[in-house]
Amino acid sequence: MAGRRAEAFLGLGFLGIMTTLYLGFQWAPSVAIDAFESPAAQRIFYWHVPAAWAAFIAFAVLFAGSMMWFFKRSPLGWRLHVAGAEAGLACGLITVWSGCVWGAAEWGTPWDWTDVRLNTFGLLTLLALFLVLGRQSQPDGVETRDTFSTFGLYGFILVPFTYIATRIWEIRHPGPVVAAGDDGGSLSGDMTVVLLIGALSFTIFIIGHILMSMRITGLEQRLEQAQNHIDGGN
Amino acid sequence: MAEVLLSIKEVEVRRGMGTVLSAYDLDVFGGDILVITGENGSGKSTVIETAARLLPLEKGHVSHHGHLTHHADGRRLNPIKPFGLTLQSNGVIGSETVEDHLQTVAMLSGVQLNHEPLLESYNMDHRKADVIGHLSGGQARKIAVLTGLIPAMVSASPTLVLLDEPDAGLDDHAIDSLIGQITSLAAAGHGFLIASHNPKIQSIATKLHDLSTTVEGVPNDAKPWTALGTKVQPRNTLFRTGHRYASSTHSGLARNGIVSMMVLGCLLALGDPANLPTGLWTTGAILAPAFASGLVGDPTTHLLRENRAVDWWRAQGQRTPAATGLGLMVGTMVTVAASYVMLGLVDVYLVVIGALMCEFTMKAVRFLNASTQRLSRPNAVFIRLLLPAFILPWALIVSWAAEL
Repeated sequence: MAGRRAEAFLGLGFLGIMTTLYLGFQWAPSVAIDAFESPAAQRIFYWHVPAAWAAFIAFAVLFAGSMMWFFKRSPLGWRLHVAGAEAGLACGLITVWSGCVWGAAEWGTPWDWTDVRLNTFGLLTLLALFLVLGRQSQPDGVETRDTFSTFGLYGFILVPFTYIATRIWEIRHPGPVVAAGDDGGSLSGDMTVVLLIGALSFTIFIIGHILMSMRITGLEQRLEQAQNHIDGGN
Repeated sequence: MAEVLLSIKEVEVRRGMGTVLSAYDLDVFGGDILVITGENGSGKSTVIETAARLLPLEKGHVSHHGHLTHHADGRRLNPIKPFGLTLQSNGVIGSETVEDHLQTVAMLSGVQLNHEPLLESYNMDHRKADVIGHLSGGQARKIAVLTGLIPAMVSASPTLVLLDEPDAGLDDHAIDSLIGQITSLAAAGHGFLIASHNPKIQSIATKLHDLSTTVEGVPNDAKPWTALGTKVQPRNTLFRTGHRYASSTHSGLARNGIVSMMVLGCLLALGDPANLPTGLWTTGAILAPAFASGLVGDPTTHLLRENRAVDWWRAQGQRTPAATGLGLMVGTMVTVAASYVMLGLVDVYLVVIGALMCEFTMKAVRFLNASTQRLSRPNAVFIRLLLPAFILPWALIVSWAAEL
């Protein structure tokens, strides 16, 4: 039943993401021609921003799972940690890739190592990649779980740092367009609608991804227990 | 009543996904030869490594000489007195000579030692100047066994000794020597916790322990050991050992130096440095080799992974040998070279910045590597994925240095 729920979330989320892509490219109004160097490329934001939003949800799940494992030895916590890392990697890569596409069109370079927001978000994605690849390289055990949970806990420091980065050091990455505080946003009503559909779709997708990943980790654990049982262990 | 040298109380230890020790208690007193028996995988090594503070505790605590050394809440304190440890893996670095290694072990106990009689007792005196990596498996094991015994051999007061399968790979003569030394040291008040299947070693046990019950063994009537060596004040042992490790393997040159030279060479391959666009680019090109050298990390970190040497050192204290200052040396040399090649002169400010950058980067990479030390396969983990974190600080330093 839980498996079907994960698939339903994934399917619905995927449909929404594709719809966002269509609406972003075909329906959403264009920005003012003098607002950007490459105004058409701005449409990739309808993917980029919701993907970043979903990545932060995944990193929050990673943090919560790491805490639950590290302090409570909760098997559920470890499954959340694994799911959060995998989902964070997926959404992080979408965010970085779409950002690079826009950067190449707008700035003339896909990446700027001197921009704080780009660095901290890139590092979060690398951390997720490290956790995913690292877990696969090690036998499952408390040593492995403790070590990677520690990285999950400390790595989360980057999340608030990434959030405030453009407010403190706006170098290349644009400042906030949603929840911009006193500065106000720069989005029209239609733009906001597409962005909200994107955020909702990515959120549903990430929930499905996390549920699916937790299910797979649970099955891996059951398989290992069965193998240990056959080997005569506890 | 003899002193309690080791006390393990209500300990729970997990390895992999299994609980190996649960509500486990064990005391080792001065004069004890407590031999742990049991099948492979029953937890003998886990007890030894728990006593040596190498394994995290889920519950309970471990004390040496009545002082807390490790607690389930995460506290891990240095023992008040050095203890002997022989791990199942030898825990010694192959590039060390026999005499350097034994002298270092004695120095950790604050003693200068004439180790020749000890080597003679294992027919190893002709090998004292050899590098341990060139010895046979059995000969290297003898050095690992002596490593575990030396803290007791040089001490007049009761010392704890932990030996994990010390007889593995030893010939009959060496086992007889080992038994003679253990009984003699125990008679002098030192306490032994030994994991062994060997019937000869089990035959000298004053207590036999199978992880659930302890039964009395045979009384020990050997002649007491007389402490060896002369007291000295140990100075910078970790620093000296770290630099000896690095220099004996030339790993500072082989790992850090070569990478920095490669970076410099690659930059020069692009053309005449005089044609670099701005001062910023020139400064970056001058500092890049030192930065790359630092990113390779402290060479001792890599060396200490041999034969679980890092675990042996971690058991002795909170810190492990480090080639502190190597980054300053390498960074200075490569930045002098880069500055001369790029500018035609040596810019002292850039040389200082390059040296400091190399040292700090090396330390930071060492910290990252140390954070994965507990993993069962630390070399297989992709910790270097996190190194791009250093790019932004590097870029900021370069832009600051370019304006000097």
